[in-house]
Amino acid sequence: MTKEERLKKRHRAEKRFRFYGLISIFVALLFVVILVQNIFSKGSSAFKKTIITTEVFFDQELLEIQNGASQEEIMEADFYDIMIENLIKAYPAKNRDEEDELLKLFSGDAEIEIKKAFLNDNNLIGKTITLDLTASDDIDQLHKGNYPRDLPEERRRISDFQLVIYDYFVENKKISKNFNNYFFNNGDSRDPELAGIGGALVGSFYSILICLLLAFPVAVLASIYLEEFAPKNKITDFIEININNLAAVPSIVYGLLALQILLATIQLPRSTPLVAGITLALMTLPRIIIPCRASLKAVPPSIREGALAVGASKFQSVFHHVVPLALPGTLSGTIIGLAQALGETAPLILIGMVAFVVDIPSSPIDPSSSLPVQVYLWSESAERGFVEKTSATIMMLLSFLIVMNFIAVYLRQKFEKRWN
Amino acid sequence: MSNVKIKSKNLNVYYGDKQALFDVNLDLNEKEVTALIGPSGCGKSTFIRCINRMNDVIDICKVTGNIEMDGININDKDLDVVSLRERVGMVFQKPNPFPKSIYDNISYGPKIHGKGETKSELDQIVENSLKKSALWEEVKDRLDEPGTSLSGGQQQRLCIARAISVNPEVILMDEPCSALDPIATAKIEELIDELKKTYTIVIVTHSMAQAVRVSQKTGFFHLGKLIEVGKTEKIFKNPDNKMTQDYITGRFG
Repeated sequence: MTKEERLKKRHRAEKRFRFYGLISIFVALLFVVILVQNIFSKGSSAFKKTIITTEVFFDQELLEIQNGASQEEIMEADFYDIMIENLIKAYPAKNRDEEDELLKLFSGDAEIEIKKAFLNDNNLIGKTITLDLTASDDIDQLHKGNYPRDLPEERRRISDFQLVIYDYFVENKKISKNFNNYFFNNGDSRDPELAGIGGALVGSFYSILICLLLAFPVAVLASIYLEEFAPKNKITDFIEININNLAAVPSIVYGLLALQILLATIQLPRSTPLVAGITLALMTLPRIIIPCRASLKAVPPSIREGALAVGASKFQSVFHHVVPLALPGTLSGTIIGLAQALGETAPLILIGMVAFVVDIPSSPIDPSSSLPVQVYLWSESAERGFVEKTSATIMMLLSFLIVMNFIAVYLRQKFEKRWN
Repeated sequence: MSNVKIKSKNLNVYYGDKQALFDVNLDLNEKEVTALIGPSGCGKSTFIRCINRMNDVIDICKVTGNIEMDGININDKDLDVVSLRERVGMVFQKPNPFPKSIYDNISYGPKIHGKGETKSELDQIVENSLKKSALWEEVKDRLDEPGTSLSGGQQQRLCIARAISVNPEVILMDEPCSALDPIATAKIEELIDELKKTYTIVIVTHSMAQAVRVSQKTGFFHLGKLIEVGKTEKIFKNPDNKMTQDYITGRFG
């Protein structure tokens, strides 16, 4: 082979390699785009809910309370008859069966929504107001275009008559979409139109908070001790190897550990953010210690020597110089560890967070769900409404993770000090 | 003849199984510059790191023998290294300012030792230290800027200012000019000349010319042994030992 030929061959090899690299990046990007597009197309509609604009007349004969009734009286009062009497007027139904079908177009919370209107203004008796009532899941999905109406009637959840009513609503502009506050404020529900991630959000928040409070101080102190103060011997080597191993233990194992120790032995309350937080803290601990030690190690020894040489004690050299310099790396490692914990599902399933919890937890010892577990729960539900809810929850979870990672990168770039 | 400030007696240093210094007996005179020369790895730096006990940082390092400063053995386990290092400052091979402001770099030492209780006292210490290290004129208007933003030579003078801020008696310099250009080196050498009026200085250097220029006394180390020590003039003009002769004339090293 001549010199020119060999040179050409080397150039060709380089070009080939660049081409392969470009292809793999393109393929990776393609997968990301498909994934994001898929989640967005399924999930974006969940942020809107379908409402039916209905006139409601508060008939004194149907209510056992008076104008100016106290809050408790209203809460206890029965609004069922008011609801029925008003909803059946939304469409001129001819008989009882038609009325039943009409009523099914409204959500199961129609009575509560009417009651809430009265709570806001307790002088409504004898008056007629216009209310936006939440539509049932079937109508919601139909209106959002997620439900095929051209199927034969026996394979549809919506009857032909209900379609007639729906078309009547559309024609009279009685049906519309607005912001889905239920999705953010409500807990889980059997009815997709009422189900929300409020409970899961609060549950995840408490869990991550407890995880942070437990894992961060322990991990930082352990890292500082191991990196700066511990004697270098077989025991510290053994501890180091074990920390690395623990970071690689599958998360479900931590779930089993928590099930046995926290629930069975210590008898902490099941399905609660408290237990979830402790479990996640155990799992996150080694994952924070590793980046924490790495950032301590990255501080050049010359800084330590400089401090020692002017007469700083070991403690002063570590806490005045090394730790502040390692802090950006430590914080970003912690945030990334927490982001992993936020997306963790398996250990939470084992400690009972899959329970169906309607109420939004008011403290870390109330039963609760969490975002990833909510995704898991809804992804198994048959109703169409849960498909968009699942994707929308994934969107929420992903945006939290992206925000957390962004904060981690920002902290590292903003506060990282450079030396020489 | 000036007073002996530091006296090492049968000093041996081991790194694990490896012995780095063999029975070093060396006297350092007060308010004089002592240069230590010798090929790389001969133990010069190890020797000066014994004087402020910086070898304590290295787990496997073991030091036997005595180093007396003003008659007190500083290699005593019960001696408080913090107060020793307040008396014996050090300047390293590579400038290592803290990634903090110029002011904080210098005020750190006095602060931790409780010198300069008030802001104005501290300001005075910073100003004096920078003046003594001939840096004041260059940085007086930008004391808030990070010490790492200075040039290499300025950083090294900042480190010298940091060392003298706690008002030590001895300053150890471990090849302070090896990372600097000739102009910066000249400035540091000038500075050393000035500083020796107040401080006892030990400087490790690879530059024979530098040793001649700045020191009054020179010690030649080879393979962990102190081969020869004497007045600088004598060592460079008329050494007793053949090995010293060979080293200073560049035949090995």
